[in-house]
Amino acid sequence: MSTPMLKVAVLVAPAIHPVSGRPCTHPADSAALALGLKLAGSSERLTVLYAGAAADEALAGYLAQGASCVTVLPTAEDADIAPLLAAQIADAELVLCGTRAGGGQGSALLPYQLAEELEAPLLPDALSVAIKGGSVEIEQFLPKGQRRSLAAALPVVVTVHERAVPALPYSHARKEAGKVRRLMPVAAKAAEWRYEPAGRRARPLVAASRASGHERMLGAIAADDGKTTGLVVKQGDPVEKAQVLLDYLRDHQLVDF
Amino acid sequence: MTFTLAYALTGLFWLGAALLSLGLVRRAALWRQGRAAPVALGWLMTIPKRYFVDLHHVVARDPFIAKAHVAVAGGAVAVLALAALNYGLMLYLPALDALMLLAALLMLFGAVLVRSRRKAPPARLSKGAWNRLPKSLLAFAVGSALAALLALSGNAFGAAAQGLALLALAGLVLGGAELALGVGLGGPMKHAVAGLLHLAFHPRQDRFSGDKRSTDLKPINLVGKDYGVETPADFAWNRLLSFDACVQCGKCEAACPAYAAGQPLNPKKLIQDMVTGMAAGSGPAYAGNPHPGQAGKVRQGNPHQPIVGGLLDPETLWSCTTCRACVEECPMLIEHVDTVVSLRRHVTLTRGEVPGKGREALANLRDTDTVGGYPLAARYHWAIDLNVPVLLPGEHTDWLLMAGEGAFDMRYQRALRALVKVLKAAGLKVAVLGEVEPDCGDLARRLGDEATFQQLAGKMMNTLGRYRFNRIVTPDPHLFHCLKNEYPVLGGRYDVEHHSQVLADLLERGAVPLKADAAPLPATTYHDPCYLGRYNGETDAPRRVFKGIGIKVVEMERSGRKGRCCGWGGGASFTDIPGERRIPDMRMDDIRATGAEQVAVACPNCTAMLEGVVGPRPEVVELAELVAARLAN
Ligand code: SF4
Ligand code: SF4
Repeated sequence: MSTPMLKVAVLVAPAIHPVSGRPCTHPADSAALALGLKLAGSSERLTVLYAGAAADEALAGYLAQGASCVTVLPTAEDADIAPLLAAQIADAELVLCGTRAGGGQGSALLPYQLAEELEAPLLPDALSVAIKGGSVEIEQFLPKGQRRSLAAALPVVVTVHERAVPALPYSHARKEAGKVRRLMPVAAKAAEWRYEPAGRRARPLVAASRASGHERMLGAIAADDGKTTGLVVKQGDPVEKAQVLLDYLRDHQLVDF
Repeated sequence: MTFTLAYALTGLFWLGAALLSLGLVRRAALWRQGRAAPVALGWLMTIPKRYFVDLHHVVARDPFIAKAHVAVAGGAVAVLALAALNYGLMLYLPALDALMLLAALLMLFGAVLVRSRRKAPPARLSKGAWNRLPKSLLAFAVGSALAALLALSGNAFGAAAQGLALLALAGLVLGGAELALGVGLGGPMKHAVAGLLHLAFHPRQDRFSGDKRSTDLKPINLVGKDYGVETPADFAWNRLLSFDACVQCGKCEAACPAYAAGQPLNPKKLIQDMVTGMAAGSGPAYAGNPHPGQAGKVRQGNPHQPIVGGLLDPETLWSCTTCRACVEECPMLIEHVDTVVSLRRHVTLTRGEVPGKGREALANLRDTDTVGGYPLAARYHWAIDLNVPVLLPGEHTDWLLMAGEGAFDMRYQRALRALVKVLKAAGLKVAVLGEVEPDCGDLARRLGDEATFQQLAGKMMNTLGRYRFNRIVTPDPHLFHCLKNEYPVLGGRYDVEHHSQVLADLLERGAVPLKADAAPLPATTYHDPCYLGRYNGETDAPRRVFKGIGIKVVEMERSGRKGRCCGWGGGASFTDIPGERRIPDMRMDDIRATGAEQVAVACPNCTAMLEGVVGPRPEVVELAELVAARLAN
């Protein structure tokens, strides 16, 4: 459900393809774009924005996925883009972006910085976004199939999970019809990153046993001689045997009933 | 009395001619809705040759109907020509009447044959108006025979003459209406006029030039925003004309693997759907088999309405394997694959709505230059211990081996290794491109993504341009077809051979050192890849290879140019439209029917499809593997 006059901004950035290393669309940004297109209802009320140093072709994928125009804020590679983006989309009521960029620093911090700049709440990792009157309700992605509902009053920054909605299919005609509009380059101060040596070295995992996989397997499976940890149940009716299995599974917390 | 009949015939002739002309104008107006096409009027002169050679070549595969058609059409044309002369021009010469009688009898003979075929018609034939046609032909033949007889007989019939004259006129009116009105109203006889014009203005003129097979898809002008066909009016006018040539014989339907598998595609119905769209549904109702699973669905069309979604379900479009079995069989030389691909192009280029895994494959092609999204550097991993040089710019090789996408398939890597071993044993200087070899774009093109195809083709030609080699050899018929037939218009000309051709030549020259004693070989059959057999006419080379290594092939009923598709082509294994059966399972049944213990294949995709058939079945072996097994150590 979209309120008729909602102004939506979607932030996108090219990702680096994991196999070829070429610029491509990022699934989470694509999902944000698809959501934005749905919620804004028309392309006039939708701003698709990118800040960075990528070439226009790197953004073509988003045009092919339905953005009629991608506005580019040309900045240096390491610029602190949150204030620039915030100035650009100050009038947007809903800001959507992927949870984490597939390129650049990819620190997933940008939405937080942006929310701070805009003085708007941030709803992270949305699987679905619904506009209810003046507020936004999202279903939040949590690991292991868990979900949580969050709501906040507009204006809001929402980061979108890549599985939220399928992106619009790639269309060559849309790509050709779409435009990349470059704004005047802005001088931005470089992001303030303080680099320091990592404190702790990653500790290699120590195997619990030095025995070979085959040996450990032999140890784990049951044999009649009783030397191994396994158990061979030959007595009893099927219910009793099943009980042994169930006890085992409960002991090892493999079932929780 | 005879003179009254003669005048009546003159009147009737000119009335018929006028109606026919009106009808033709009406039908032509429908064709003219299409886009312009580059044609020349002079092409009309080619009709006789194309009719008697090219068309008859296809019709003659069914000798019965060929005979019947020659008699009935030849007779009818002769009757009409003689009637034009004798009655149209009011000569009233008895000699011409005698000739007309002979012609009418010939036509009568043909019409009786045609009618007998309709007694127990094969399921592929359409009923409805097409069942009426033989009766109309009979009526016309009887009518004209009677009229000629009466004219010749003077007063021999006496009092009966008047009754007979009325009978003759009735026959001529009833039968003649089929032609005179049929063209304008879209009846069965429109096939005669549209068919002949279609022969002249065929969209693939190169089909008729010598032995060149015209099987390449033609590029579209993407820069000019030509995104394929959305509405019937987006077809070139001669394509619309070609649809009207269809005689609904169902030869295409009987050959179509997707139809046989119960997927929602009947090529005959597809062509008729286009006719419905072009004529906005006017004309006799379709009375043939539907697209499987869509019986009873009535669909409306309009020249300016989108075809997909209205006249056609998208699933129909995506069921096609582009195997060309339909085109091979069509007596009217209609191009089904062009039709399917034009429609796909519009869907893919403007909306990207490719079903199944097709979308993912296209994204992979755009992002990684491989169908499966593999790193390019892995394409020749299988050759790592075979000591195949990777060609460097500036170096030269006799043979450039291009493995294609099959190189990423663990099963097919065995075949590739076998091929390299054979080529090396024969002393050929072979090199590969290594990680600079992109995909040829075959899959993208068949899925309608002309943009990605053109991009990949550009990349491929660019790459090949940087290396020096004499000839290309590839085991992949799709890659072979692209390089050989589809790149030339884009500016890439290569001397390319399929590995079966190279192997056949090597064996015939005795260049491959073979083991002397051949262990008894299991009974073997051979599955022709569509893109080698039908697309390139190469059914001979693989069989020469078998001969060279002493294998006697048990042929399947559908083999060679009539071979049945494995189900991969045209991206059908990616779009994966559900049917009642799977095409590769049906093909495996064909293979089983020969009693062979193994089936030889000559294409990475056929290999994958047939290897994917579950349950006990004959072994699938690649041509190169068979040769490698016979190599002397
Ligand atoms: S398209 Fe060709 S093969 Fe198919 S029904 Fe029509 S004339 Fe026959
Ligand atoms: S090309 Fe093959 S699958 Fe496609 S319609 Fe023709 S026969 Fe059927």
